[in-house]
Amino acid sequence: MAPDAPDQPAAPASPSLHPLDPAIRTIWSIKLGLLTLLALIGVLFYEVTHLFDDEGGWPPFVLTGIVLGLGVAISLVVPRLRYRYWRYDLRAEELYLERGIFNRVRTIVPLRRIQHLDVSQDLLEREFDLGKLIVHTAGARSSDVVLPGLRIEDAERLRDTLKHYILEDAV
Amino acid sequence: MADDATPLADEATPLADGHRLHPMTLVQRLLLSLPGLVLLLLPVLRAPNRDAWLSVAFAVTYAVVALPLIVLRYLRFRYRITPQELIIESGVLTRRQRNIPVERIQNVEIEQSLLPRLFGTAKVKIETAGSSGTEGVLEFVGLDEARRIRQILRTYQQHQAAASLPPPPSGEAHAAGKAPAAGEAAGAETDPGAGTELLSLPLRHVLLSGVFRFSLLYIALIFSGLQYLNVEPEEMVDWMTGPRLDAFVAAVGDSPYLAAAAGILLAALLSWLTGILVNLNKYHRFRLWLDAGKLHKRHGLLTVSEGTIPLRRVQALILRTNPLMERFGWFALQLQTMGLDVDQQGYQVAVPFAQKDDVLRIAGHIYPFSLPEAFRPVSRVTIRRTFVRYTLALLAVVGPLAYLWREALWGLVLLPALLYAAVLHYRYHGYAVQDGALFVRRGIIRRYLWIVPVHKFQVFYASASLFQRRLGVKSLLVDTAGAGSFAYPEIVDLPAGEADALLDDLYRRFLAHFAPPSAGPPPPPSPATQNNGSISI
Repeated sequence: MAPDAPDQPAAPASPSLHPLDPAIRTIWSIKLGLLTLLALIGVLFYEVTHLFDDEGGWPPFVLTGIVLGLGVAISLVVPRLRYRYWRYDLRAEELYLERGIFNRVRTIVPLRRIQHLDVSQDLLEREFDLGKLIVHTAGARSSDVVLPGLRIEDAERLRDTLKHYILEDAV
Repeated sequence: MADDATPLADEATPLADGHRLHPMTLVQRLLLSLPGLVLLLLPVLRAPNRDAWLSVAFAVTYAVVALPLIVLRYLRFRYRITPQELIIESGVLTRRQRNIPVERIQNVEIEQSLLPRLFGTAKVKIETAGSSGTEGVLEFVGLDEARRIRQILRTYQQHQAAASLPPPPSGEAHAAGKAPAAGEAAGAETDPGAGTELLSLPLRHVLLSGVFRFSLLYIALIFSGLQYLNVEPEEMVDWMTGPRLDAFVAAVGDSPYLAAAAGILLAALLSWLTGILVNLNKYHRFRLWLDAGKLHKRHGLLTVSEGTIPLRRVQALILRTNPLMERFGWFALQLQTMGLDVDQQGYQVAVPFAQKDDVLRIAGHIYPFSLPEAFRPVSRVTIRRTFVRYTLALLAVVGPLAYLWREALWGLVLLPALLYAAVLHYRYHGYAVQDGALFVRRGIIRRYLWIVPVHKFQVFYASASLFQRRLGVKSLLVDTAGAGSFAYPEIVDLPAGEADALLDDLYRRFLAHFAPPSAGPPPPPSPATQNNGSISI
């Protein structure tokens, strides 16, 4: 069900599970890149203010280089991995999710437990016509289960399908 | 407001016009504000001769601002009850009117702390389904008035439920599902005494339960209190014991280690005694009774509180104990509820302290089950993982300490104890599935046994961290409404295959529970009335 995923992994894919929209990788990369930039500003500030301290220490701008390198690597690799392990499926009775690079999680959200639904879209996601579906349940640790990286029209369609399952008193 | 054209309009609507609080409220608020005044005056009281004018200034400010405010607040506060809603008007500068629809009221709690009891008044707390906290507070009304308010609210709830039951308007698909709920919520409850009594805790047990409980929290409170009042602990000991302990004090003074040990011992003793007193204050004359599908409890020495737990709202039962209590067969029972009192973090104590058989008998009234004969253990790998975790925690403490003070390395002597703890953790951790519920037990010192009925399951998780994957184990969690964030019924380190199978099994049971009556998923497109749940962007 996923011919449009170029780097289809051998790893988790149970059949019939949907991957996210591939564009989500770009969004995640940009977000991580921005975080890197933020860290970089801090490090650069430190480097510049300590440029003329000569107490041994590291040669100038090595730290900046490390942070930059790590940041770029993470921004490139993590979104791909994250994308590779994200899978979801809407079934007759439940919404099924699989995700996680280091901590792999399988989640079953029974449709009858859904309390309400949100579709949200931030600035970046709007550029790519993506959105996320947020499923709220009464569960304490799962008051909001997030399904990111859906085409916005898919997210809205999912929401409209799911909202028929909302019961009056789901507790 | 609108008591026109309701079926109740011609009946007596006892509190339909605005009511003030009990006049004694004035006196109580005044008394309650005194500690604040003392706090203001504390610097002056401690050094009376200096800055006498400051004290006068404070007193004057107090008289000019605080006193009129108390009176005004009292005058401006009104409440009334119509068959539809409870209306509370309040506010001195900004007027506020709060309307609480009667059918949304979940719980009417009457609380009497020491001062109100002297004046024969009580505090009425109104909790609703939607909000997390207490929605409305009447502070204070007469005790009889409080009971009357509760009774009136319940009667109106019943009337509403009855009114909405017979003619189900054709379009409203869920009216039928809602009405019995409202009826239950309104259950005919009268004052304490009605219904079947489940537990009446004798004083002996209340004291004993305090003996078994030990919390370092109180000692921190005591010391910070003493700090604030600037009383040295030594002075206090002197004052209590006089010179009788001088020799002991001298001996202790000679050796810093002895001093530290004595300090810790004293702190522990004080904390223990305080714990017993706090426990006594909280659970004195604890009574629990069941009436019309609701649990009622009433307890307290200085503050008497009454609470109600609708059985329908109970999400899970939690049997708690610790090794010492368990040794003598003592247990406590908590109920995990939702939407009620958030002060209790979703946990309500149903039985503070009782023998196992009693706890099980009472728990059986809430959810019928029998304790599993045997629990299935998790993978032995968990011993290793727990030991590593404990060791890392120990190193995190010892490492930095040893950097400053080499002797701290002796802390590593604890390692075998940690290994033993890890083994204990493994031994006590386990699960069972029977009687339509998932049983999970865990904990070395604080021992929990969760009993989660299948039909209260919310969301199912199976997860495996990087390390868990390498060792071939998984964790499994069934989420419920109102579960705590520190203690929850997660089964950690099950063999991966077993975890997946268990997850599927539990989910199948969950589906099976709902399958027969409502026949699978609700009919998908029923356009009318079901739109309220979703929010679009």
